[in-house]
Amino acid sequence: MLGVLHPLPKLIVCLVWIVTAITLFDLRFQLFTIGLAATLLIVLERRSVIFVIGLMVPFTLFGAGFLTTSLLFRQDTDFALKLSAEQIFARPEVSAGLVLFFRAIACGMVSALFALTTDPGQLVRALMIHARLPATVGFALLQALNLVPDLAREAQQIRLARAMMQGRRPRRIPGPVEGASLIVPLLAFAIRRAGRAALAMEARGLKAGAPRSHLNRPQAGWADLLFASCAAGLLAGGICFARIF
Amino acid sequence: MNAVGPISLTVGKGERVLLLGPSGCGKSTLLQSLTGVIPQTIPATISGQITIFGEPVAARQPADWAVAVGQLFQDADQTLCGFRVEDEIAYGMENRCVPAADIAAAVRDAMARVELPPSWRSRRIATLSGGEKQLVALAAVMAQPAPLIVADEPTANLAPAVAARLAAFLLEPRSEGGALIVDHRSGRILQLIDRIVVLDPEGQILAEGNPDDVFHAHGDRMEALGIWTPLASRLVRKLARAGIGLPHCLTIHELCRALDSHGHRAKAARVLECTFQPRALSLATPVVRLCRVDCAPLFGPVVLRDVSLQMNRGEVLGILGANGAGKTTLSQCLAGLVRPARGMRDGPLGAIAFQNPEAHFTQATVLAEVQKAGTAAGKDLAHLADWGLEEQADQHPFTLSYGQKRRLALAILTATDRWPVLVLDEPTSGLDQRGADTIARHIARLAQAGRAIAVVTHDMDFAFTVCDRVVVLAEGGAVSSGPARTVLRDEATITRAGLALPTVSPLLDWLEHKGC
Repeated sequence: MLGVLHPLPKLIVCLVWIVTAITLFDLRFQLFTIGLAATLLIVLERRSVIFVIGLMVPFTLFGAGFLTTSLLFRQDTDFALKLSAEQIFARPEVSAGLVLFFRAIACGMVSALFALTTDPGQLVRALMIHARLPATVGFALLQALNLVPDLAREAQQIRLARAMMQGRRPRRIPGPVEGASLIVPLLAFAIRRAGRAALAMEARGLKAGAPRSHLNRPQAGWADLLFASCAAGLLAGGICFARIF
Repeated sequence: MNAVGPISLTVGKGERVLLLGPSGCGKSTLLQSLTGVIPQTIPATISGQITIFGEPVAARQPADWAVAVGQLFQDADQTLCGFRVEDEIAYGMENRCVPAADIAAAVRDAMARVELPPSWRSRRIATLSGGEKQLVALAAVMAQPAPLIVADEPTANLAPAVAARLAAFLLEPRSEGGALIVDHRSGRILQLIDRIVVLDPEGQILAEGNPDDVFHAHGDRMEALGIWTPLASRLVRKLARAGIGLPHCLTIHELCRALDSHGHRAKAARVLECTFQPRALSLATPVVRLCRVDCAPLFGPVVLRDVSLQMNRGEVLGILGANGAGKTTLSQCLAGLVRPARGMRDGPLGAIAFQNPEAHFTQATVLAEVQKAGTAAGKDLAHLADWGLEEQADQHPFTLSYGQKRRLALAILTATDRWPVLVLDEPTSGLDQRGADTIARHIARLAQAGRAIAVVTHDMDFAFTVCDRVVVLAEGGAVSSGPARTVLRDEATITRAGLALPTVSPLLDWLEHKGC
């Protein structure tokens, strides 16, 4: 449902929210942000609870770094934690490590909400139309997005070829050594592919600085206004709640 | 030394020209210089003059020629510019600043003409198969009605039914424009071609004229240089060598008619029967068995269900099917590199020669590759010579031509006897006639030596030449399997699988019904 919104207002709302979450050093606001993002994903985007919990895992691991550091190396991190806790909206009665932990999850969940509800093609198109992103850069970004599945396919083939030479089946997930050994051939593949794609784009008339029309111009409408208003209201409410109570 | 030329070539208004030549003669370079990509984007020196519709190419930037020249590249996988299907089709028109409403109408029209379902408009390019991407690329060219169409092996990776549809669109008559097509094996588009230009290995014109005259007058020379000639033309020359003179023919149907009216019909039939004699096979010894397996690529969903088949010692098994039918997935299961999602595979681990030969290369030189593969000491150069790569021994594998890379991949896999099972994935894709013949010869030699070989291919003529048995994939399973000579001529099965009968099919019918 959030996918129909114009990508740019949504991007601005998410960025403002992330900046607020970083600035507002308050545990309740971080929890409110996580809860809101999860609710939107589950209710409006029909994502399963398991999926949303799974989504939090990498952010939790990242945040756990702050938590364990603050607990295990209390003396070493004392200065840094004190600095964090002395931010303008800080609430000193809650452990700074705990706030940092949930802040990592909150920021991650807002980013995930944006990524899961935005068509990358429409985002790049919106940036080209409204943010003066040069078409050559915009289409290079789209090519990079198209490259991801091709790189995965190429990596798979290289892994199969190597496993074959070693007389065994490939492991499902490559280990760190195998992963590192794939970097150079994949980089070479990406460079070759980028060269061909650049030639094809030029052959089909892409020229730096030339005016372009757009088939699907992302249009901002009432839904975007409603979304931005609701987001502003919720953000203001969250800040007030965190400051007053 | 010139990459191509000196060459004088004209494409007239309304003319459809086919450019033929052996691998490495500079066909792609010539196409890239047509719109100034060479030398303006890829640095090079060009002497002489190139004009399009009377205007020197150098007068505009390559991107500005998109208005006049629609280009279709060999590998749509690497040359699509959009993110979704409709973005891709609209891309050229957006660059020309065409109003959005006109673009929308042109996109709808192009999709309808290429028979792409409207539901595909918002489909991501990354989710399409290779053949589907090529169709989208074609729709993009059609939506931007440039008077001159230039295509570099546009059908190389497509199943025959799709390839025929694509060729028909590309070569439809254009009164104000023309078409210049490069293709290695062009049997199915020959009747749509007005003129052929043949380049020799040095990139100079060997012959030029209407197809009938060129193949009639220069067929022998072209064959000797490894350049494709139609099967009927080759057979007429073969019969002539056996003392049976026939008028020159371009198609097998013409050849059958010529044979009908010839006095020495029985003698001709004997010569042709020898040509198409199937290989004699000894008793089948199974090497690999798949028993009611479901096949899925690593991390992917099941694409083939309930497949049972076996590969025998000394036998060549063809795996046929349309784009996206699951041929590559089945080949990975057959080689044992991917476990079946269900069912049982029984047999030793095999090897696959991947579609992209570069996946096999890990060393800095060609010689080091075969040494690493385990060639016996002192025999590495001889092994390279077997595959025609002795002169490239010190070269980096990535600097080889496409055909040489493909041969090096096979040289690596055949350097030792460790793999009794070999699977070759699209071994002739992008190769000229000589390259395809070389691969066919090696397949026969390896089978003779007792290897079990599977060949994944769209090329029905190649399958007919090299395979003893075939399995046809369609609708998520194996719809037919059996002796190649029987299955490849079963029109119902072949059509159902989106394939086409081998070119030689009418001649085999003739041999059965009228030949004796």
